Amino acid sequence: MLKVLIEKELKSILQSPKFVATFGVCSLLILLSVFIGINEYRSSVAQYETASNWVDQQIAEATSFRNLPTKVYRKPDPMQIFVSGVNFDIGRLSEISVEQDIKLEQSAYSDDPIFAVFRSIDFTFIVQVVLSLFAIVFTYDAINGERESGTLKLVLSNPIARGQYLFAKLAGSWLGLTIPLLIPILIGLLLLIVYGIPMTATSWLKVGTLIGVSILYFTFFIALGLLVSALTRNSAVSFLLLLVVWITLVLIVPRGAVMAAGQLVAVPTVAEIESQKDRYRADAQGELRTTRNLRYQSMMEPAQGLAESDRRAFYAANIDLYTEESNRLQAEMEIVIEQNNRRVNENLRNAKAEQERLAFLLSRVSPASAYQLTAMNLGGTNTSMKNRIEDQMVDYRATYNAYVARKWQQEQDEQAALLAEQRRGGGAAGGYTYAGSGNQAIDSSDMPQFTASQESVAEVIQASILDFGLLAIFTFIAFACAFLAFIRYDVR
Amino acid sequence: MSQAASSSSTSQSSSQAPEVYSGPRLEAVNLSKRYEDGALALDKVSFKVNPGEIYAMLGGNGAGKTTTINLFLNFIEPSEGEARIDGIVAHKDPLAAKQKLAYVSENVMLYPNFTAIQNLDFFAKLGGKTDYSKDDYRAVLLRVGLQEAAHNKRLKGFSKGMRQKCGIAIAILKDAPAILLDEPTSGLDPSAGREFIRLLTDLRSEGKAILMSTHDIFRAKEVADTIGIMNQGVLVMERAAADLKGENLEKLYVQYMAGHAGSEQNVETIN
Repeated sequence: MLKVLIEKELKSILQSPKFVATFGVCSLLILLSVFIGINEYRSSVAQYETASNWVDQQIAEATSFRNLPTKVYRKPDPMQIFVSGVNFDIGRLSEISVEQDIKLEQSAYSDDPIFAVFRSIDFTFIVQVVLSLFAIVFTYDAINGERESGTLKLVLSNPIARGQYLFAKLAGSWLGLTIPLLIPILIGLLLLIVYGIPMTATSWLKVGTLIGVSILYFTFFIALGLLVSALTRNSAVSFLLLLVVWITLVLIVPRGAVMAAGQLVAVPTVAEIESQKDRYRADAQGELRTTRNLRYQSMMEPAQGLAESDRRAFYAANIDLYTEESNRLQAEMEIVIEQNNRRVNENLRNAKAEQERLAFLLSRVSPASAYQLTAMNLGGTNTSMKNRIEDQMVDYRATYNAYVARKWQQEQDEQAALLAEQRRGGGAAGGYTYAGSGNQAIDSSDMPQFTASQESVAEVIQASILDFGLLAIFTFIAFACAFLAFIRYDVR
Repeated sequence: MSQAASSSSTSQSSSQAPEVYSGPRLEAVNLSKRYEDGALALDKVSFKVNPGEIYAMLGGNGAGKTTTINLFLNFIEPSEGEARIDGIVAHKDPLAAKQKLAYVSENVMLYPNFTAIQNLDFFAKLGGKTDYSKDDYRAVLLRVGLQEAAHNKRLKGFSKGMRQKCGIAIAILKDAPAILLDEPTSGLDPSAGREFIRLLTDLRSEGKAILMSTHDIFRAKEVADTIGIMNQGVLVMERAAADLKGENLEKLYVQYMAGHAGSEQNVETIN
């Protein structure tokens, strides 16, 4: 019996103009988004490779560990094709020299702001906005439309349980929406293979899970459509009602949650942070100046009243000690400032994390947010992407700079030895010649390489399981309520 | 012809169906319906329809005819009393009851994007009949008078008469022991109406119990075995059609609707 009902639902959906429209729009959008995504990915890979090659070339040409390039680049991940997330907003590279903070800069959008105006449409957007809307179009008149057209009475004059009938409606619409989603996405996946996008087993698994989550997401809207359609008598009313609910869930709640969290948890602005750091540095420097002056005065105190020549002699005898101590103080100050900067950054990060946690918590009232958060976790383009990569870069910077320092020391030692030999030989002209300044390239074969590690499958699953579960619960509740409403529905 | 009017068995409660059921096919027992707004749509109506019998419910708009049919179909629940089909109480076991009922509404509505045959196929399967062939569908459509050219046309362009024919075809295909018809001939042209009546008599001769609500006094008199007149939720008259021969049913109807009939011995069952 269920089969008969589902067959009929599917048949009438397949024959309806809304299916043709859905299929056309979805195919066009999905294929276009995958195609554009592939091109964007390829161009960012090309950009990444050019930059990497340039770095490699600089290293190959370098004759001293003193003047190595100090930039490190983020490697593009093919998952950005499906879930662009924050990918285009965060920078592609960072400085890794000792003096500078790790900070990703030069994002795709900051390079080409025009693309930020009409942000790229990815698979997630299509599912989140377009498919959910179609899910409503499919089901807004599922029950009340049949009542209006008079077929509901005839159908229910037969021995059919209402739950069964409702489930058939769900299944029919579900199949009718899954087909327009799956066919273009499968072609899209084929495109990935054709274009030779390096998809790992993990990437395929992520894409598969993403498709699963997408299906679960629009199943919620199908169940919601059934619910509203079983609560109202008139299909025009249910459509309007569903449109309002859709706008609220998809457009208002996620943004509202972020705004509310911004009001509830205060996060200092970048300007505040910078001025805080500057003030601290200025204070520290002022303090250092005072200390230095005092030290200088106390150093020179015994020389007071001496003759000019004696004073000069005293100065010459003591100034090295003073300079040494002064440099030590300077270095200490730098460490303290660095510690303070780190603390300030840490606090900022914590406040941001707190704000983000609250924003996400609030926004999860809407399945649209839950879906987007899961999708971004799966794509690795979530809000923690920046921190994750920056953290990896911080680690890399330490390794890299330790390596460079060691090599530089080695180079200097070699230089000194060479110089000593030259002096012994007496062949070289007087003065300091830098042995390395010749054409001898450095040996950088053992230089540590930056490889941004991907999140493991277990991590990805862990990060997305909450939202996946939420979506499942939302869908179940909507269908259960639709069932209760339909049991009580007056079919006349 | 009719045994519906026998007064003794109304009190006999038979909600438990015996092994072999031999009672009336359709039975209303003190059937009442009060809506949530307090309006009493049906007030303790009792009647029976036996196999091979056509029962015509006459009455004006709001008399309670459609409410009665809706109660048999469990579209609404009775406030009091029971609607039984072969002893099965409709609101207690609606699925079993609906298995035994075929229903034709005043304005048969089918799926406009499906052809006549596709509609028949779907509703026959819903009725539990899964082994019909396309030839069976064609045969039944010809039997109800739908020309072959229309069989594979979508229902979109069908006239009301054509849809009613499809509706009765669906009822025939379901092959249920009882058929409920809610003003099936309203809006049909005279020849379509006549054809419809011919089909009903055919079905009666096959042993179906038929409960039909109608405004059409002349058709009722022509085809029914028993005629009940309802007014404001009350069954005010119930007579065997054979007893009404020679009487002016129209006059009787108007009298009952006006609420001042029954001075003679005509009234047999008034609850």
